[in-house]
Amino acid sequence: MKILGDLATLQLLRLKGRAAVDVLACALGANLPVIAQDLIRLCAAGYCHEGAARYRLTPAGREHLNALLDSERAALDGPTLTGLYEAFTPVNHDYKRLIHAWQARDGAPNTHTDKAYDDEVVRQIRDLHQRFEPLLGRMIDAAPRLAGYTERFNAALGKIAGGDMAWLTRPMIDSHHTIWFELHEDLIGLAGHTRQAEAEAGRAD
Amino acid sequence: MAIIILDGGANHSRELLGGKAWSIQRMLGLGIAVPPAFVLSTDECGRYFAAGGKLPDGVTAALPAAMNHLETVTGRKFARGPRPLLVSVRSGAPVSMPGMMDTVLNLGLTPEVEHAMGRETTSAVFAADTRRRFEQQYRDVVGHAPDPDPWRQLEGAICAVFDSWHSRRATVYRAERGIDDGIGTAVTVQAMVFGNLDERSGTGVVFTRNPSTGAAQPFGEWLPQAQGEDVVSGSHDALPLAAMAERMPAAHAQLIRHAQQLETAERDMQDIEFTIESGQLWLLQSRAAKRSAVAAVHLAVTLQREGLITSQEAVARVSADQLKRALQPHIEATARATARVLARGKPASPGIRSGLVVCSNAEAEDRADAGEAVVLARPTTDPEDVPAMMGAAAVITELGGATSHAAVVSRELGIPCIVGCGVGTVTTLGKRQVTVDAESGEIFDGALPIVTAPAHQEDVAQLAEWAAQELARGTTLTH
Repeated sequence: MKILGDLATLQLLRLKGRAAVDVLACALGANLPVIAQDLIRLCAAGYCHEGAARYRLTPAGREHLNALLDSERAALDGPTLTGLYEAFTPVNHDYKRLIHAWQARDGAPNTHTDKAYDDEVVRQIRDLHQRFEPLLGRMIDAAPRLAGYTERFNAALGKIAGGDMAWLTRPMIDSHHTIWFELHEDLIGLAGHTRQAEAEAGRAD
Repeated sequence: MAIIILDGGANHSRELLGGKAWSIQRMLGLGIAVPPAFVLSTDECGRYFAAGGKLPDGVTAALPAAMNHLETVTGRKFARGPRPLLVSVRSGAPVSMPGMMDTVLNLGLTPEVEHAMGRETTSAVFAADTRRRFEQQYRDVVGHAPDPDPWRQLEGAICAVFDSWHSRRATVYRAERGIDDGIGTAVTVQAMVFGNLDERSGTGVVFTRNPSTGAAQPFGEWLPQAQGEDVVSGSHDALPLAAMAERMPAAHAQLIRHAQQLETAERDMQDIEFTIESGQLWLLQSRAAKRSAVAAVHLAVTLQREGLITSQEAVARVSADQLKRALQPHIEATARATARVLARGKPASPGIRSGLVVCSNAEAEDRADAGEAVVLARPTTDPEDVPAMMGAAAVITELGGATSHAAVVSRELGIPCIVGCGVGTVTTLGKRQVTVDAESGEIFDGALPIVTAPAHQEDVAQLAEWAAQELARGTTLTH
């Protein structure tokens, strides 16, 4: 349990690059003092350090994380993970198109003055997310560490439904796009690929 | 009246003629030479579908007489004789649906016509290539090889263009934009003209003003003895219009006159396609020209001063986005002209910034924290790059397009971003000072001077004054 806990925390730190304790607690679905305690322990072990109230992996932490990820992958069913990643690729393609439609329109930035247009894009993103949920379920079955994504996505969708559109695409907060992108990165790693190779193959840029 | 011959008259509506034939009528009405054409109206489209996808007898019977008009104006014979006439068959809906429906070019190009065309253009290769492209396009659009009989070819192409009204992409396009399915498309049949016929031929494009600056000086390019595709594909080096003035002064003077006529009639900068066939100038198309933000501002003010538009119209002609971009900083023009371009990519988030190229996200963060202007260069960005992106002056990547992660995040953060510069480009620029122009997609060597004052400050002030006057008038009326 401890191992899975460290893996989840360190991987989240890597995905976020640098993150404050409340963001980590929120994404890990744990309460603040527990995560704070974990971070103090991980810092003492030399796996991460704190600067300006935000935490960042050390090279040793990165090495430790890679070892944990390797043993995680060794215990999981490789072909299933590869298959799930392949199933994710077309959905991801559609998702990126919709995010682009949200940000830009006819080659110019979306000014967000056409409510009908914005509503339609958001509706399509919600539809896509709904269609994607069974696949996410299968991903979690194959790699239990991903379980936290369901709750994170739901939290972002809830805020979007409440009218706070920052939770669709804003970086550095757990917006829908931030979560999606972190999940994509997790899937690339679980399938044994690298982002650069995937980008060159046109499956991740 | 199954077929309408286009004669420059103004007694038919755009709804009936469709956009293509309507604009031909407008040009003909100004006395401008346009390759002769006739149109099967949108009413015929309705009749065609009502008859279950069959051309009404009246149409088939009227085709030879209509074609005779094209033959008389061009002095050619449809698909026969030593100077054969070829036609284009084009869609044209009352509302613009660019690229949604089908077109057939060079129709009538039978094997015999290919020989005649080879002799006339003294290029058997060109004639053979044109026929190959015609047959390919005909098969793609109509669904089978062209009939040996040119009249059957014509009927087949007309039916296919009508049918393309109900093609999947056209139907989806209309559904998305709430365009009525019932309005239908017209079909325009127009004489083809050839810019590669002889040394007194050519083809080109003219803007009535400079589309980059808005300056009141016609701007364009032309290619002697070439077809339109040669200009578009960039396979030949186009010449400036001044070269045309030297080589064909009469055609050039006529072109400039027509350009001014069209701009006055349409009350906006035009982008005009033309072809010269054996010394005869033909205008093929005229439409409102695409323009830079800076040009849009200058043009709106200038057109008002020339009396072409009102001050309200001038204000309405400039979008908020154009105004915003016109106000944005730009690289000082002379520095830019001599600067070396280190890499080029796709502009993904607008803006212009200089800084030191850093390839590692941790180093980028540290330097940004220390107050340095940093240009983050990555093969492609991944989640852990986001904190570094937040502190960066600009982001440049080697892989990816407009929907890539780097593009999405940079747009959200409002920092300039250029993506897809190519493998092994930007990550080799470490420790260099560069200037990133994410308007043009260029990365320049060195920190170039960036001008923060808008290019047309007095124009912006003028627009603001007119907008304020309009507001004041509105206030007086309502209170």
